[in-house]
Amino acid sequence: MERILFYILALIIVIFAIAAVSSRKMLRSVIYLLFVLCSIAGLYFLIDYNFLAAIQLTVYAGGIIVLIIFSVLLVHHIELELELAKPLKQIITALACLVGIGVILTTIYSYDFKVIENDTAITTADVGSKLLSYDQGGFILPFEVISVVLLAAMIGAIIIAKGKQVEKHENKRIE
Amino acid sequence: MDLSTFLLMRHEIVLLVVILLLIIGEVFIAESKKSSMVHLAVFLFGIHTLIGFLSIDYGSLFGGMFHTNALIQFLKNVLNIGVLILLLQSGDWLQEKIIRVNRGVEFFILLFSSLLGMYFMISAGDFLMFYLGLELSTLPVAALAAYDITKRISSESGIKLILSAALASGVSLFGISMLYATTGSIYFTEISYVITADNLTVLAFILFFTGLAFKISLVPFHFWTADVYEGAPISIASYLSVISKGAAVFILMILLFTVLKPLMHIWENMVYIIAIVTMFIGNLFALRQQNMKRFLAFSSIAQAGFILLGLITGDQLGTATVVYFLLIYIFSNLAAFGVVQAISLETGKEQMKDYEGLYRTNPNLSLIMMLALFSLAGIPPVAGFFGKFFLFTAAASKGYYLLVFLAVVNVTISLYYYLLVVRAMFLRKSDNAIPYFKSKVYMRLGLLITAIGILVIGIYSPIYDYIYELSRNLL
Repeated sequence: MERILFYILALIIVIFAIAAVSSRKMLRSVIYLLFVLCSIAGLYFLIDYNFLAAIQLTVYAGGIIVLIIFSVLLVHHIELELELAKPLKQIITALACLVGIGVILTTIYSYDFKVIENDTAITTADVGSKLLSYDQGGFILPFEVISVVLLAAMIGAIIIAKGKQVEKHENKRIE
Repeated sequence: MDLSTFLLMRHEIVLLVVILLLIIGEVFIAESKKSSMVHLAVFLFGIHTLIGFLSIDYGSLFGGMFHTNALIQFLKNVLNIGVLILLLQSGDWLQEKIIRVNRGVEFFILLFSSLLGMYFMISAGDFLMFYLGLELSTLPVAALAAYDITKRISSESGIKLILSAALASGVSLFGISMLYATTGSIYFTEISYVITADNLTVLAFILFFTGLAFKISLVPFHFWTADVYEGAPISIASYLSVISKGAAVFILMILLFTVLKPLMHIWENMVYIIAIVTMFIGNLFALRQQNMKRFLAFSSIAQAGFILLGLITGDQLGTATVVYFLLIYIFSNLAAFGVVQAISLETGKEQMKDYEGLYRTNPNLSLIMMLALFSLAGIPPVAGFFGKFFLFTAAASKGYYLLVFLAVVNVTISLYYYLLVVRAMFLRKSDNAIPYFKSKVYMRLGLLITAIGILVIGIYSPIYDYIYELSRNLL
């Protein structure tokens, strides 16, 4: 049963991932991406990572997709179709992708993975205490560093967004 | 773990405090006094650089996620000095162009967060911290590259940088996840015990290597370099080519020589080929550049190829020569970019033919540019010669004679195009040469420090001995 569910989810992920990058309309790509993210959450449920699955649904499928949709609607004409690359370029890119997939898949499938049986389910309390622990296996430092990454990203975004406004402001002063 | 052990992270903590102080300053300093923010930032960063030199214990924190030793401390200090010189050189640009449109403080915050990312990257004890450091060091720079928001070419370079950086770090992350799958750990110390050269691990290593090769702009991953350097503000081009590249080489060296040492028989072949291709492509493309920023971009690609000669050895000698070369490279390249910045700020000219007759009008700038180019080319009296010479010695000591021969061929090619600029400045006469101008205090100080560095590091040999001592224990 689990196996069947996995293959269904995997099929959805692959099909919609390809659809997301090959669709010529921006908004459709985003919606396809939403399906991919939801199916990945399904994979997490399948291996009993309930907390991670919930995060995946709320943050990625819920938050990030909404943000992307907003920015697409703000920046882009939705009706506008993206340009197609030249046929020769398409063929070369497709060949490169196929070779890449071939190499990676053959290497992964030829590797003899060690399966570790693990019955203990990870609870949210475990995740929380790991996140704030500073011993081996704790994640407080990365957690704090991510906050600096986000701060820098926000300031960077503000700086790019506010550029034009400052110009207008100056122009008014000259008038 | 008590409070005093946190002092191991002194560099990071002090820099974070500087960032927070600047944010507070931005809020509370009145609009009319904003130009003092540059002085404040340079002053605070100067203090931070000085604190970095105080002696300190070594060890690891957070269960091995963060570790530090004498060499890592030294590398962070080298980066600090580089950024301090860069701040001095860009002080005037900031005051004249950036503060006036009220975007000054963000510049420092972004620059320092990027530096903070590099600290964490160099000090990383596991792949998670390494990856976060890599991201933190790249993301703010993309915003900085697009800083000249009025210029289309600047926004373009920001977009190019962030898209190619995202792709490279995605590929790198895929490689790291494969390494986790084969070794079952993200901690460097644990991985180094269990890593073996099976197919999946090698593939993982290649993918992981891509991310760093992108930052160092080694050859198959160098396409972004010239475009981004050309479009970005000169300070940021300088930052990308000196600080960002330096930090990436440092962490690549630490990883190759410690965690990935068991794979050495694989990566030495990769490094061998990439070194040859990088040197040739960088040098041959530099030959035909007319824009000084593009010229320095390709020159910095070629220099990255030379650095690989030291990486290929995988021992103490290699470590010492790479660090020594990078120290000299930081001073030389900052000097070259500084002169370009000074001229561009004053006249807006960035083409090589604008430099004709520069010696007659601005002898001091020409002399510093000449020193920098001689140092980059590796002409004996200046430091660059010793840097290259030691790198070649390190590679030759492992029997890579063909590689050293090809490197020497490349030095000859590079000599030609570096001398093209020197010829334009000293021998050519021009009717509309750049008129005489006097740079402001910050710029002159920044250029003076680089010039002293180029001269002193080559002659004063205890510096090399000190680095060699430090290189004894990497992890």
